[in-house]
Amino acid sequence: MKFEHCIRCTICVENCPVFRVNPAFPGPKQAGPDAQRFRSEREKSVDEWVLLCSQCKRCDMACPCGVDPAQIILRAQQKYGLEHPHTAAHLLFANNYYLSTLGSMTAPLANRFVSTEIGKKIFQRMGIATYIPFPKFSFKTLRAQKKTRSRESRKVALFYGCFINFYRPDIGRKIIQLLQSFRVDVVLPPQWCCGLPALGNGNLALAQKFAAKNVASLSNYIDAGYDVVYSCTSCGLCLLHDYQGIMDIPGAKKIAENSYNLHEYLLKLLAERGGTKPEFKEVNRTLAYHIPCHLRALKIGYPAADLMKMIPGLECRVLDDACCGLNGSYGFKKINEATAVQLGGRAVSLIRKTGAEAIVADCGSCRMQLGGLSGMNAYDPVEILCESLGIRDLKKQKK
Amino acid sequence: MSVIEYDVIVIGAGVSGLTAGTFLAKQGLNVALVTTGESTACLSTGCIDVCSQDENPLQAIVNLPDGHPYHLIPVENIRQSLHDFQQTMTDRGMPYGGGPENNRRVLSAIGTFKTTCLTPVTMQASPQNEDEKIHIITFAGLKDFYPGYIISRLKNASYSIYDAGVATTMGIAANFEGEAFLEAFILWLEKQNIREDKIGFPAVLGLESAAAIVQTIESRMECPVFEIPTIPPSMPGRRLFNHLKDYFRCQGGAIYWGWPVVGVEKSGKKIEAVIAESQGRPNSLNAKAFILATGSFVGGGLHANRDSIVENVFHLPVFLPGKRETWFDHDYFSTNHGIGQAGVAVHSDFRPADCPWDNVFVCGSILARTETLKNGCGHGFALATGQAAAKSCLEHIR
Ligand SMILES: Cc1cc2nc3c(=O)[nH]c(=O)nc-3n(C[C@H](O)[C@H](O)[C@H](O)COP(=O)(O)OP(=O)(O)OC[C@H]3O[C@@H](n4cnc5c(N)ncnc54)[C@H](O)[C@@H]3O)c2cc1C
Ligand code: SF4
Ligand code: SF4
Ligand code: SF4
Repeated sequence: MKFEHCIRCTICVENCPVFRVNPAFPGPKQAGPDAQRFRSEREKSVDEWVLLCSQCKRCDMACPCGVDPAQIILRAQQKYGLEHPHTAAHLLFANNYYLSTLGSMTAPLANRFVSTEIGKKIFQRMGIATYIPFPKFSFKTLRAQKKTRSRESRKVALFYGCFINFYRPDIGRKIIQLLQSFRVDVVLPPQWCCGLPALGNGNLALAQKFAAKNVASLSNYIDAGYDVVYSCTSCGLCLLHDYQGIMDIPGAKKIAENSYNLHEYLLKLLAERGGTKPEFKEVNRTLAYHIPCHLRALKIGYPAADLMKMIPGLECRVLDDACCGLNGSYGFKKINEATAVQLGGRAVSLIRKTGAEAIVADCGSCRMQLGGLSGMNAYDPVEILCESLGIRDLKKQKK
Repeated sequence: MSVIEYDVIVIGAGVSGLTAGTFLAKQGLNVALVTTGESTACLSTGCIDVCSQDENPLQAIVNLPDGHPYHLIPVENIRQSLHDFQQTMTDRGMPYGGGPENNRRVLSAIGTFKTTCLTPVTMQASPQNEDEKIHIITFAGLKDFYPGYIISRLKNASYSIYDAGVATTMGIAANFEGEAFLEAFILWLEKQNIREDKIGFPAVLGLESAAAIVQTIESRMECPVFEIPTIPPSMPGRRLFNHLKDYFRCQGGAIYWGWPVVGVEKSGKKIEAVIAESQGRPNSLNAKAFILATGSFVGGGLHANRDSIVENVFHLPVFLPGKRETWFDHDYFSTNHGIGQAGVAVHSDFRPADCPWDNVFVCGSILARTETLKNGCGHGFALATGQAAAKSCLEHIR
């Protein structure tokens, strides 16, 4: 940990959305490097206020000295979680994956897929992970598939994440079609929750359990020549950063080195293929692109914005100053509700100022929050790209 | 090879880097700015120091010692860069008063006067001497702001305290963004029977809407109102930074946050790409030209070892005033430490001296012999050199 590098400039504090609205939270400087000097492995944590940190990582991104206060706080949160009984809310959200699985199993989703051959295929691929928590995906079949493909095309193992899986499989299907339109093979490897909700709710052990399974599964695909692509920015940050960092999962480095944000990956393909742009058709919209905190923290720039820039007619205003306040399960907890609502209100007012007709954001939880609070439509960038490329959800198309 | 090739990559989000980036983006170039973190502008008073050694900043520049990088820029261009800045800030609703011919004074949080050139509209009414009749309002529990101390250095000043419910700079400033809070505050203020000519506040009067808030208080109280800059967190510094950053982006610039450059790719006489530690694996970005604006020691551009000083990104040669004995003055609080001269020496086109690459340009406080502290040439110098380096870079690209 680099808390000794802190020069007490308070730049992190100025960037902390929670500190701005909740006087009970002392801010990243005090909760991070300052308090770290007083934390001891041998003493029980008394700093309950570390739980008020939403882990948006804005402090890490602003600190000019590389201190990474959010990482220090995350560790303090885990320590606190280990030493204190978990509240009902923390337990619930940490186990979000199991609950959602249960929820989806009972939902009559299955009927929606089966109308077409392609739909069936997608259903099989999506369905496995959606309805059976521990899919028996045969590795050999995938290899066999590989042989039938042209040499040019690349192969992607898609890590779709819980939100898309349980709530928006339509976006998942579009991602697959989008990748296919770039001449890429897509498979859905066996996968579990990335572990971030468990981590965010102070349950490191559960998070590590998920992570280890994912690493084992994705690792097989990487060995077989697949690139891992994720679309949820928070899953991505967890795969790339937390698996190697706080979770300390063996083999995590390989995953980080071979995993790409969906849009980053598309740009990479374009560059490799000599930069010819896809045939984007005009989309006459003015959109406000709310940059999810965790996309910011991925340090890859805003690749979806670069892609959307190529769409004729599209006016896309990039906003990265405001956190939506929901932060996954953070805002759903009673103690954070006021914070979440105030931050959301501020983010919405910045969006309104742009005069945009709708919102785009890569993060499902941002969309839920901003769409809900503003009453505006909130899209995934994938939906906009698909609109421009004429890709429609196969299931709906056939209706 | 990176995904997108930019025309120019600027390294550093200080006033100089943002100025250079904006200038080039306005010319239609595809510009990215990469930065470890936010810059010293956030720690500053938000006032633009051009050169504080004389009543007239432009005259003060003429009198700077030979070899000072200000001398590489024609006076007209310095004037232009300040004018452009004022225009931008006016357009963005945070006008800056003053002009390049006159330095002015700003009352500081310790009751002394700071000499500067351009001031944000929220400090426009700052008293110019200790005789002015002023009343200071502070906030209950606010740390690092002691009005008793300030008025002890003034002749006709008094103060009172408002309880805002929160006691941090950020917390109070955020509250001022709410109409109800502002209204309750003004109602309280009206009851205070303030008889002095001007009312001063610690600089916590809002974040995004500060200019409007000051104006509202002024019109309701029917007297001039001014902010007194605080130590960090400094709201006027933050406002300056946010405006410059947003403006850069409005012109089409892209910013990569949390992107400390740790290496470069080069071939022949060109730097081809810069490399940063990213999450999980290194990331690189290509460009046709690069502008180094990483600041001095505080900004992170320079690093001092026991007997040497290194430039962190390109490992350019660093000018040193002499052996280690000459680096520091015996008086700790002196503004004349020799190490203030350390930095990268450049040619008149802001290309670094003794540099094997022809597509690198340098601006801001990392320049050799700047002596920011001694000469009082902070943001103003950053504006002027940022624009000058950007112009050379533009010529190179075209
Ligand atoms: C505490 C303080 C108060 C000041 N107050 C005032 C004032 O009131 N008025 C005034 O006019 N001037 C003031 N100054 C001076 C003024 O801030 C600077 O001189 C001026 O803004 C120069 O900025 P710059 O662009 O050269 O670099 P800096 O502001 O130093 O910024 C450097 C940037 O480069 C980034 N960086 C560094 N290394 C790397 C790397 N390897 N890769 C990527 N990015 C990197 C940093 O993160 C930072 O964003 C103050 C300075 C300080 C330190
Ligand atoms: S953690 Fe970083 S940003 Fe925060 S006070 Fe310390 S040095 Fe400044
Ligand atoms: S991670 Fe976000 S909420 Fe937590 S301290 Fe940092 S800025 Fe504040
Ligand atoms: S939900 Fe979205 S904006 Fe909101 S915290 Fe996540 S990443 Fe930040």
